[in-house]
Amino acid sequence: MSSSAVEVDEAADLVCQLDCVQGMVDALSSVRWKRHQSSPGQDAVVELSEHGIVLIVEETGCLQAKVYLRRELFVTYEYSAEGRPRFGLSLGLFVDCLNTFSSPGHAPVIEIRYPDPDMQLILKSVDSSNVCIYAEIRTRIPDTISWDYNFGPARNAPASFTIKAISLYLHTAPTYLTAVLKEAIDDLEWPSSTIQILLQPEPPSVVFKGEGHGDLQVPNNTYKYKFLRATTSNIAGSVLKDNRGSKLTFGRGGMLKIQHLVSVVKPGIQHPYTDSSGLQQPSRIAYLEFYVKPEEDEGSVDD
Amino acid sequence: MFLHNLLAGDGVQCVAQFGRDLLFRDYRISSQNDDRIAFSIDLALFHRALRSALSILQSQGGGGDPADGGGSQLQIQIKLLKKIPAGSQQPTPFLSFETKGYKSAVIHDVPISKPLSRADVTELQTALDMAQELPQTLVQVPDLPQLQNLVDRLKNVGDILSISITQYGDLHLQVSTGLVTVGSEFRRLRVLGGRADAPPGDQNLSAPSRTRLAMERGEAQSVQVSMKHLAKSIQCHLTKPDCAFYGIAPQGACLTVIFQFFIPGTRQMDKSISLHCRLPVLDTGSV
Repeated sequence: MSSSAVEVDEAADLVCQLDCVQGMVDALSSVRWKRHQSSPGQDAVVELSEHGIVLIVEETGCLQAKVYLRRELFVTYEYSAEGRPRFGLSLGLFVDCLNTFSSPGHAPVIEIRYPDPDMQLILKSVDSSNVCIYAEIRTRIPDTISWDYNFGPARNAPASFTIKAISLYLHTAPTYLTAVLKEAIDDLEWPSSTIQILLQPEPPSVVFKGEGHGDLQVPNNTYKYKFLRATTSNIAGSVLKDNRGSKLTFGRGGMLKIQHLVSVVKPGIQHPYTDSSGLQQPSRIAYLEFYVKPEEDEGSVDD
Repeated sequence: MFLHNLLAGDGVQCVAQFGRDLLFRDYRISSQNDDRIAFSIDLALFHRALRSALSILQSQGGGGDPADGGGSQLQIQIKLLKKIPAGSQQPTPFLSFETKGYKSAVIHDVPISKPLSRADVTELQTALDMAQELPQTLVQVPDLPQLQNLVDRLKNVGDILSISITQYGDLHLQVSTGLVTVGSEFRRLRVLGGRADAPPGDQNLSAPSRTRLAMERGEAQSVQVSMKHLAKSIQCHLTKPDCAFYGIAPQGACLTVIFQFFIPGTRQMDKSISLHCRLPVLDTGSV
């Protein structure tokens, strides 16, 4: 039994309530690329601020993902910390705990509180007085994020990498883009583990190209397939179906940024056809960002 | 009467009893042991024979309920018999299912053990009598799918589950590992047996502290069981029980789950069916 028995309502840094657990599970699961490996699982760093919650996961300094859960996603959001508290936890445990709350046909309201006297993250269902589910998650002092990439405008990127091409693509098939992207990346079963991405304005298109070994001629940047795959492979089918689109951007030094929008809507109040433009209230969207570093210029491809 | 695992100490025990008239239109038995015959049967084969018989009845419009007594020709005849299987000299006991449809008849012979000896039957009966011992306090879980869903999710968290039952009608499940504690408390459940009034003001406490206080007052019991065992017992939901009661046997000997079935179309308990499980309690003394 844990020692959180003492009911002291000490000022927590954050107390917020959420009515769409499933949306949050979907958003967080999308960055859970180590799901199929057993221990030790995937560590995440959570940063709290008055604007919302950011969850950051990264791997070997080459791939980083951020999930932005803005305060507008929450029913209530009481933030009373100074600075921006950060803590580390196991992403898998966090998602499994959240999953405990969601059940078919029932959208619970949960309270998220940090910290308790033992510096734990507390989740608690608050919508029924007769059934209460709770979770107390041990947190850690966070690992330092090895790179906090400031994604500035890509001024020194080659001109051909224009976002226009992407946005044209977005206009043609806004609803299916993430699905298309996922499919394209899944299909890249090519001999090389290195993928080249080309954006062309005429005709507007994105080209994913796998090169054979030692055949790198193009001065564009290349990305490891496994990292590229991680940016789409864990996105739940329900998210793809009701998708807001994805966006690819190239930043300084060839850093690839892939942004997905995941709607976080309480089931039952979802009206996919109310807005013909396919836009939902921006407040009900979680932003996922993946950053993939290009491969080092060594000419040799391994892995 | 089906007894599963009754004599083994380490698994889930399950006892199902059916009233004779509920299942059978005609029933004849004769044995030298007070007209009782006991044998063991492979569950998978037994299940297959029943499914096959049912599918024949259903495909031929027989409704599959031999108890309806509507004079239907479609019925299953179940017999205990001995046959000499191909390639053997020894007569072997079988439970034989003969299903007669309008156009076809199918016979399934399910191999069974030799009838248990008088001593074995007595031993089983003793174990059964002990298994009938009721916990002092039982709480009723009204929403079985909800419980099932919860246990499915908790399975991902850990292997050992603490279950606490208070005399106020609270059922508290908790899984705790070094990194996380996840629990769920169902409150104000219907109580059978020993009950007490919840102390005032306890609704402001967290579930773990409420349980701890109730334990200190001697108005609650708590045991640890294997998550796998609980998940297995929850498979009993496949029998579509109408409600389930949870209780902890005296001295925390085991966790007892009693399923109840209503007479169709009523809220009255059908006394001719009984199903209950006993989950072994994990030894926590060494911790």
